Amino acid sequence: MSVRVYLVDDHRLFLAGVRAELSEEFSIVGSAYDVDTAIEEIRGLNPDVVLIDVHMPDGGGIAVVEGVAETNPEVKFLALSVSDQAEDVIAMIRAGARGYVTKTIEPADLADAVRRIDAGDAVFSPRLAGFVLDAFAGAMPSDEDPELDQLTTREKDVLRLIARGFAYKQVARKLNISIKTVETHVSSVLRKLQLTNRHELARWASKRRIV
Amino acid sequence: MAGVAGGLADALGISDGFVRAAFVTLSMVWGLGVLVYLGMWLMEMDRVEDVDPVEVAPHQAVGLAIAFAGFLLFLGAAGWWPSNALVLTVGALAFGTAALTDRNMPGPLAALVDPTVARPGRLRMLVGVGLLIGGLAVFSANVGPIYEIGPVLLAVALTGIGILVAFGPWVTRLARDLGTERRERIRQEERAEMAAHLHDSVLQTLALIQRSDDPARMSILARHQESELRDWLYGNAPLEGADLVSTAMRDAARRIEADHQVPIDVVVVGDHPLNETTKALLGAASEAMVNAAKHSGAERVSLYFEADRDELVVYVTDQGKGFEAAGVTGDRRGIVESIKARVERAGGAVAIVSELGEGTEVVLRMPVSTG
Repeated sequence: MSVRVYLVDDHRLFLAGVRAELSEEFSIVGSAYDVDTAIEEIRGLNPDVVLIDVHMPDGGGIAVVEGVAETNPEVKFLALSVSDQAEDVIAMIRAGARGYVTKTIEPADLADAVRRIDAGDAVFSPRLAGFVLDAFAGAMPSDEDPELDQLTTREKDVLRLIARGFAYKQVARKLNISIKTVETHVSSVLRKLQLTNRHELARWASKRRIV
Repeated sequence: MAGVAGGLADALGISDGFVRAAFVTLSMVWGLGVLVYLGMWLMEMDRVEDVDPVEVAPHQAVGLAIAFAGFLLFLGAAGWWPSNALVLTVGALAFGTAALTDRNMPGPLAALVDPTVARPGRLRMLVGVGLLIGGLAVFSANVGPIYEIGPVLLAVALTGIGILVAFGPWVTRLARDLGTERRERIRQEERAEMAAHLHDSVLQTLALIQRSDDPARMSILARHQESELRDWLYGNAPLEGADLVSTAMRDAARRIEADHQVPIDVVVVGDHPLNETTKALLGAASEAMVNAAKHSGAERVSLYFEADRDELVVYVTDQGKGFEAAGVTGDRRGIVESIKARVERAGGAVAIVSELGEGTEVVLRMPVSTG
């Protein structure tokens, strides 16, 4: 049975485009243009993967992710946005999204990302990898949980290669590790991003807002 | 009348009626009030609209009154004083009226019949009436010496007070409306500016895209416009970060993308100020991007820039056809040499990794001092 996908975007034209691109391989169970409808329908339909726009009126994608997480924690989110605003993207991931890609992504890559999210992996676009490296860069670990607050050298290597535009397969080959290991590293980075409460992250986000 | 009294009143935190009264009183001293009024009107051109009146403690108001009285005494001492009677009369009448007609207070008649009106209002009213009666008394007691000009001045003063009472609040309201209108105009100008910007950029690009039948070109135009619009919307205006490596890298990538019709994905981690050393790095990175866009045959090129504490690293990556170091000839070789020379002269290092059929990666490293 094909992956059940739900789409949320307030730009109808874009939504129609994504629907056309994905409907061959996946079963699109529904779509919404606004936050409230999205929360209600996703709760009822319980799709496998939700493609969610970051910027929407009434709370944006974060409101949907948080609204659904309470009742249907098994629903997985892939954030899709034109935003270059690092803090928006990081906030989305911290709210629970399993990945982030820009809307300029190639259709084949988008389909690949949906499959990956459905399989429980994280999806990092080059840009998100850059954001994460930036967020964790040059900081000392805090006392509370040093492991959560820092990326390992290997994780940084993986992120750098993703940021340089390499696919997971190429990353694996360059580092002489398996694709599965690459996926494990990325998932671990995602977990750190979601769980860490290091103040540098907040400081970084506020610094970004000024720039 | 031109909003000066109201503005001054807001600034000082006292009722505009009193300020008007002060001006009228001063006018009796050889027209000084009129001069001061005109002077302040000229100076207050850029007064901020709708300043909230400052709250003034009673002792501050008393202080202002004493200062004003002192000023009058000084004028008297300086010999610029037509007549005690005249100034006292007009002053008393003007301030008395001001006390009675303050726009912020309930009407004096209401205070007479309605005991619930706050006491300060009644007190003011009593003082105002007292001043009026006193002023009239002084005037009638001295009616002899100023007999000739008295009626004229009285007429002028009464007319002035009449206008003040009748039109004061209306003038104030007019000034407020002008402020609102001005804000609305600013808003409209902003909208017009935005429309002009969108017309010059987005609409032009959309027109170009409609007329183009080459998908690659359409995509480039759209990407170029997208990043430009984003910069404009989110305030990463080129001017703001013009002296940062990150901004310069993004700009260079955008230009090359437009010139060579190959999308360039830019990812930046950290930042560094632009100086001679980093400009060399930027130039080399640009050449690497051009090289990849022109020769690699790749569908897209990646630029990754990372600023560490003591090193800047640039990766220009393509997944095109790649080349063998030995097989590099002609134009391409020149570019490679030029990249190396530039970076090495500035104290950095260059590594080029290329595999046939796998693509090329140019790595530029530049040590920097911590700062």
